[in-house]
Amino acid sequence: MSEVVIEAGKRHIKEINEDIQAACAAGHKVIVRNTLSRHNLGVGLPANANVHFEGSVGYYCGGLNVGATVTVERNAGWAVGEGMRNGHITVGGYAGMSVGAAMISGTIHVKGDSGPRCGVAMKGGNIVVEGRIGYQSGFMAHSGKIIAIGGAGHSCADALWQGEVWVAGPVDSLGVDVKVVEPTAEEVAEVDAILEPLGLVDSSRNWRKMISGQRLWYFESRDASAWLMI
Amino acid sequence: MCGIAGRILNSAGRVGNDLVELMDAQEHRGADSTGFAVYGIPRDTGYVLRGMGFDKSRLGKDMDEFQEILKAHGSDFSEDPSFVVDDHAHYSARIIINEPKDIARWIHDADQICGNFEVQSCGRSLEIIKDIGGSTAVADKHGVRDMIGTHGLGHARLATESSVLPNASHPFWARPFPDVAIVHNGQITDYYTWRDRLRRKGYRFLTENDSELIAVWVSDQIASGLSPIAALKKSITSIDGVFTFMIADQDGIGFAKDRFAMKPLVVIEENGEMAAATEEQAVRRIYAGESDVINHDGPSLTGIWGVGNRSLAA
Repeated sequence: MSEVVIEAGKRHIKEINEDIQAACAAGHKVIVRNTLSRHNLGVGLPANANVHFEGSVGYYCGGLNVGATVTVERNAGWAVGEGMRNGHITVGGYAGMSVGAAMISGTIHVKGDSGPRCGVAMKGGNIVVEGRIGYQSGFMAHSGKIIAIGGAGHSCADALWQGEVWVAGPVDSLGVDVKVVEPTAEEVAEVDAILEPLGLVDSSRNWRKMISGQRLWYFESRDASAWLMI
Repeated sequence: MCGIAGRILNSAGRVGNDLVELMDAQEHRGADSTGFAVYGIPRDTGYVLRGMGFDKSRLGKDMDEFQEILKAHGSDFSEDPSFVVDDHAHYSARIIINEPKDIARWIHDADQICGNFEVQSCGRSLEIIKDIGGSTAVADKHGVRDMIGTHGLGHARLATESSVLPNASHPFWARPFPDVAIVHNGQITDYYTWRDRLRRKGYRFLTENDSELIAVWVSDQIASGLSPIAALKKSITSIDGVFTFMIADQDGIGFAKDRFAMKPLVVIEENGEMAAATEEQAVRRIYAGESDVINHDGPSLTGIWGVGNRSLAA
């Protein structure tokens, strides 16, 4: 696979993305330089595309991905991989708010920390954060797994639906309607299978698995106090 | 969705130009109106005022009335005012005045004519420029790129809580506290209640904009004895809504973020200088290379950057 270098700079984002798409369609691996933290870089990439962004990117990088492999050298802004249906995104540094918002499938791997509401409203797939996940991470996640090796900020797993939040490090506080359960060996094996290709398996970890307490699933007047906590 | 920005230089320089760049990069966040607060080289005596008249055909009459009120307070124009007039009905004025006997009493009387002419900033160094339109249009009209100073704020407005009026644009001056200005990204939900309380203490609000409250609220807390950082911390639990706001005075720029971590703030500090904005791509206009970016993404955060001593006090 030959490499093509694309200069982002101050050009119109549509032009940059069209260049990326054309190079991907021609079967090249794409390296994007001079990204200047621009928004919407690599949104809507085709399956089998392989794109590397040098430096940092802005909002929605790799959003609506249908199967591309995307790497970001340093930091990503809001909602990296928003709404992605498939593929693999790696962020080398910090990922801002709402990592993988409403994603359906695929994997997002963040090597640093993540901002607030990581995995908000995600409907499937996996988010692996080597550092800490920010405030209110997992907020209203419908399905899928958020795996935080370094720990979690306040209000962790707030108002979770059917998603799961796995944390190995310290958790500042739990959100509304969270149940912390002891994972079974089979469940830990499932998480290790996600971490294995990333080279992150460590059998000595003490996982906490957070799931919904299901008190917010249906309104019950006797549970009004739980609703008022939101 | 608005965009805000702050900039501190090591010494007086083209801070106006930097603020225009920061706001140009964020124009998509709201181009209803744009505004700048520039802290120029402070004068030892007297004040620089920026104001807006709402009917340019009344300009001469407005200035006569304004001057009369100044004289009643032992002050006067110390040089001829300058004006920016274009196709719009409103006009903008820059006025240098001698020291009034009591700034709060003078502004109280000057506000008797605020329906015609409104003072939008007053300070030894603060000048607030605001108008409807995007950053380039406002900057070109008012010569913002050429403004020299040590620090300042910028704002791009997407009107949510009140109308698109030239005087409902940010930044807001903390009437009557000289040299205090704010920019705000978000919505304040209980501003009517707070404004009522503050009005009873003698404060005056000239617009229907929710953000005008913040400037006065923080300044009132400081006037009541709180330290600036304590006032910023108190705002998080006292003011209801979503916000990231920045407040500036002659000494520096402070910020506060709401309990829900709704609005971002991205900062690059390098060689003792600082650029802050809602979006990282804006601060990269100032620092194009790969810099260490600080994301103030969490909930309930505060901080102050000093001018001259730019370490962040959280």
